[in-house]
Amino acid sequence: MNTASPYLLEGHKITKRFGGLTAVHQVDLAIRPGEIVGLIGPNGSGKTTLFNCLSRLLPIDEGKVIFKGKDITRRKPFQVARMGMSRTFQVIRVYRKMTVLENMLISRQWRGEGLLQMLRPSHPDTERRAHELLDFLMLGHLKHELAGRLSGGQRRLLEIGMALMPDPDLLLLDEATSGVNPTLIETIKDRIRALNREQGKAFLLVEHNIEFIADMCERVYVLNFGELLAEGDPQSIMNNEAVIEAYFGA
Amino acid sequence: MGFLRRVWRLISANGGIYSWLTLIAILALYPLLTPSGAALLTATQLFMLITVSSNWNLIGGMTGYVDFGHAVFFGIGAYLMGILVTVVPDYILFSPQLGFWQALPLAGLGAMVFALLIGVPTLRLKGPYFSIAMLGTFVAMREIIRLLKPFTGGGEGLDLPPVLNRTRDYYFMLIFMGVVVALMWWIRRSEFGHSLLAIREDEVGAEMRGIDTTRHKIIAFMIAAFFTGVAGAFWAFQNTYIDPDVVFIEQRTVEMVMSSMLGGLGTVWGPPLGAFILYMLQDLVWANFYNLHLFILGVLLIFIVLFVPEGIIGTLGDRSSTSLGRLLSRGFNRGERTMEERA
Repeated sequence: MNTASPYLLEGHKITKRFGGLTAVHQVDLAIRPGEIVGLIGPNGSGKTTLFNCLSRLLPIDEGKVIFKGKDITRRKPFQVARMGMSRTFQVIRVYRKMTVLENMLISRQWRGEGLLQMLRPSHPDTERRAHELLDFLMLGHLKHELAGRLSGGQRRLLEIGMALMPDPDLLLLDEATSGVNPTLIETIKDRIRALNREQGKAFLLVEHNIEFIADMCERVYVLNFGELLAEGDPQSIMNNEAVIEAYFGA
Repeated sequence: MGFLRRVWRLISANGGIYSWLTLIAILALYPLLTPSGAALLTATQLFMLITVSSNWNLIGGMTGYVDFGHAVFFGIGAYLMGILVTVVPDYILFSPQLGFWQALPLAGLGAMVFALLIGVPTLRLKGPYFSIAMLGTFVAMREIIRLLKPFTGGGEGLDLPPVLNRTRDYYFMLIFMGVVVALMWWIRRSEFGHSLLAIREDEVGAEMRGIDTTRHKIIAFMIAAFFTGVAGAFWAFQNTYIDPDVVFIEQRTVEMVMSSMLGGLGTVWGPPLGAFILYMLQDLVWANFYNLHLFILGVLLIFIVLFVPEGIIGTLGDRSSTSLGRLLSRGFNRGERTMEERA
């Protein structure tokens, strides 16, 4: 265990191959507690693959992932989630046939794996947290609505709420603004800032929306063809010639 | 329909608890009201169908793993009961000749252990692959039972001690059904039940939200297998004779699937309601169109899949509700609203 590390999450020389295609190659990445970090890159640059490797949805071929000082490279996704790393998905994954409240309760804090513990009804604290988070995300009035009936933006917010239910230290948000109207984007920004400022939660944001990244992040990583192209504060990244060439080909 | 609605309003107005107490009293007193052994046998069989359908629904409906071979646990339970209590003929090498109450839990445990052994590899499979694997397990087990003649009697089967007591059978199955339905109700409201539904809706998402999906699926599978095994064991004792062709019949699984689908997959009250309707319908069709009854039931299955895919509970009310009273009154109210809108 590396207790001396100042980082919450570290990726060391992460490589992921799909057959002959190397989707991510030798990428280093680190996030401090309470930091908001962006991950950008053109289509097909390997952002979501890297995201999946970090959250253990995909096994990595080389390198290692350290979370809270522990090597999680061989851990299962549910174990990583219980350690305090939550994520959302590029294609929204909410339980469409369940109510908004049920969606939240499913993504609860873990109280044990014994059969008798699992057979207990939802704990009042879990329900209270679900209601608080729904109000915080401005979804309180929709708690008994089926998730499949929500708009795209509301579903994004619900997914963020589900990721927040276990009270994670790090949230990985994949394309949180995709398909969301400008008003709701402002809501999402506002909520992320509040969570960061008031609860010290760290965020890794994968985005196509450069303005969103520039507005929200302290540091930005840029991927291109599966390799790390640049790293720095948003302003220096926006002025980086290699980044401009990767995005605009000029 | 108007009369039914008035009756239901009357019951609802007096509180759900009284309705339940009335139902329990009627069921408890039924053997005293009817001297007919056939009527008691019919009710016992109906309770059994409700029980096994509710168990199938735990893995097939709540967890989303459609098990086409679930009757294998029924068969294992039946055969374990047979082996443990049988009167030993010449060709049987082993039988401890236990009593019914000793053999019953052991039969359930045997089915549960088999579920663990078969569940670890098969529950890694998704969708139709799991269904086919379980169907294959069912067919293979029938042949294994046939080949293990020194223990199972092979094709000649086993004779169990003939103990005919329809009233005892009725009460046993009534209580057993009550326990199973109550357990399903509890599970549906528990964190475990929520997790199973999450697995059904999106297994990858469930795993990413901290649910140990493998463990949950196997536990659900083992619970369903235990109670189905006990039901099979009871059936064997009641039937007093078992052989592979009467125990391992595909129709048993088909009935479990049909009951759950007709009533509402993944709901607590769907399988009991579906089993009740299916059993009555089967009786009616069998009595009036004996040569066509399987054809008619096949057509019914197609009808359910095409036109009522969410089952009666899903169509009437809220799939997530665990209150039968609320579901039915919502169903009636929905009908009223529709009529008002039409007017």
